[in-house]
Amino acid sequence: MSEQSPSRATRWAACGAGVLAVVIFVIWARQAVRGLSPDTAATNPIIRWEWVFKRSSTPHELRDLTIEHLKLTALPVAAGLVLSSALAAIALRFRWTFAPLTAVAGFLYTVPSLALFAVLTVYLSPFQAAVVALTSYTLLILVRNIVAGIDGVPESVLSAADGMGMSRQRRLVTVELPLALPVVMAGIRVATVTTIGLVAITGAIQLGGFGFLIFDGYNTQFFTKIAVGAILSVLLAVALDLLIRSVERVLTPWARRRVAR
Amino acid sequence: MIALATIQAASPPTNVFEWFTKESFRARSGAIPHQVWLTVWHSAAALVLAVLVAVPLAVVLAHYRRGELVAGWVVNTGRAIPTVAILGIAVIVSLREGFGFEPWPIILSLVLLALPPLFANTFTAVRGADASAVDAARAVGLSEWAVMVRIELPLALPVLFVGLRTAAVQVVATEPIAALFGAEGLGAYIRQGLGNNDLYQIQAGALMVTAVAIVADLSLWLTGRTLIPAPIRRQAGRSSRRNRRSKGLAEAIA
Repeated sequence: MSEQSPSRATRWAACGAGVLAVVIFVIWARQAVRGLSPDTAATNPIIRWEWVFKRSSTPHELRDLTIEHLKLTALPVAAGLVLSSALAAIALRFRWTFAPLTAVAGFLYTVPSLALFAVLTVYLSPFQAAVVALTSYTLLILVRNIVAGIDGVPESVLSAADGMGMSRQRRLVTVELPLALPVVMAGIRVATVTTIGLVAITGAIQLGGFGFLIFDGYNTQFFTKIAVGAILSVLLAVALDLLIRSVERVLTPWARRRVAR
Repeated sequence: MIALATIQAASPPTNVFEWFTKESFRARSGAIPHQVWLTVWHSAAALVLAVLVAVPLAVVLAHYRRGELVAGWVVNTGRAIPTVAILGIAVIVSLREGFGFEPWPIILSLVLLALPPLFANTFTAVRGADASAVDAARAVGLSEWAVMVRIELPLALPVLFVGLRTAAVQVVATEPIAALFGAEGLGAYIRQGLGNNDLYQIQAGALMVTAVAIVADLSLWLTGRTLIPAPIRRQAGRSSRRNRRSKGLAEAIA
């Protein structure tokens, strides 16, 4: 999606408003559950905040689940990035391989995640199975965006680089990769956010990060756990999305200058 | 005859093909055509609803150049909402409100899954519609509404169909998750396989879902080729290759 970058003031205002909203909400919720024991009747028919804020083991559980969810997101995206870079390099060097490569990646994309987790657990530990399966889902997005990014570098820029006497490797590292970076980073963002959503399904093989909360909540008909699991994965996605955007801004200072002008 | 069936059921299948060919292994899982039909029906209903919601919204927003940043954020965050969570919440609420277990919770969660790719692709395509064509349409005297429906939407169709195919594949490949919550459909084979530790039943379920996803993808591709007028298809190919070195290899996924 093509986006116009907002001004710096707008961006800081949006971030500040978000953080402020979360802080106000937490203060309000803690206030609301004051004086309630963890197992009293509901403070709220949908989400029982006392389970979130008063139960002594909740923070530890949530911390462990956050770490698991992060691991199950970061490892597949990192592995997918390494693999996709290699595949994209092959596709760019030997152009006829692009169609078969994306066809294979596209085929992997159609395999139902639930089934892939289930089949792989026969050969691997649940954690390994989850990482392998999630990696396979990042390939299509990453390969296509890396190839599109490098392929989209204008011919004139390449001629200029050649004219300056750059070697093929030097041109790739100092000219093509930086110019391709916005498209590549967009791919990494979509892959990361999609993976965060998919991690929940690993709850079916006794993993899951926040997905564990969701399945557990469903099995015990405890709505609060499902809601907390869903909200936390969305928050995690927003946080990682912001993180990747800021990394992209640091890595592409020229784009920032263009906005400032 | 009964004795033979008992013997067959007693010796488990040794590969996934035996699971398909020997009926006794499948006896406890329900008929395949029925489960395929359920999966196809849920997915198709979800896709149609998602198109009805996402496409008009994206066309109008992109036409008036409104809400670009907000839409981008919502779409990207929408991808992170776990379908299992929506499904769990929807099932509980639906049961409590008396709408029953099937099919509304399943369809609702699949609609939410299909919205981001559909919206993002339609929005990008309408934004990128040839400005001179839009200006020409206005000069001829078309109303804003007619510009949207008769100029921008047709020009956006090739990219819209790419989004539709992505959405279809995701929806079909995700529908089996409903089985974890007790629904029927092709996911039932995977659920039972997980429960019985039956690798071949899991594999069979996976194969069937993959086959349905590929068929959906191919039939939508074919629909696109038939529906979209050839000049627009060629135009889309040409404009995506502008500024490219030789010939465009890939389109970035937005």
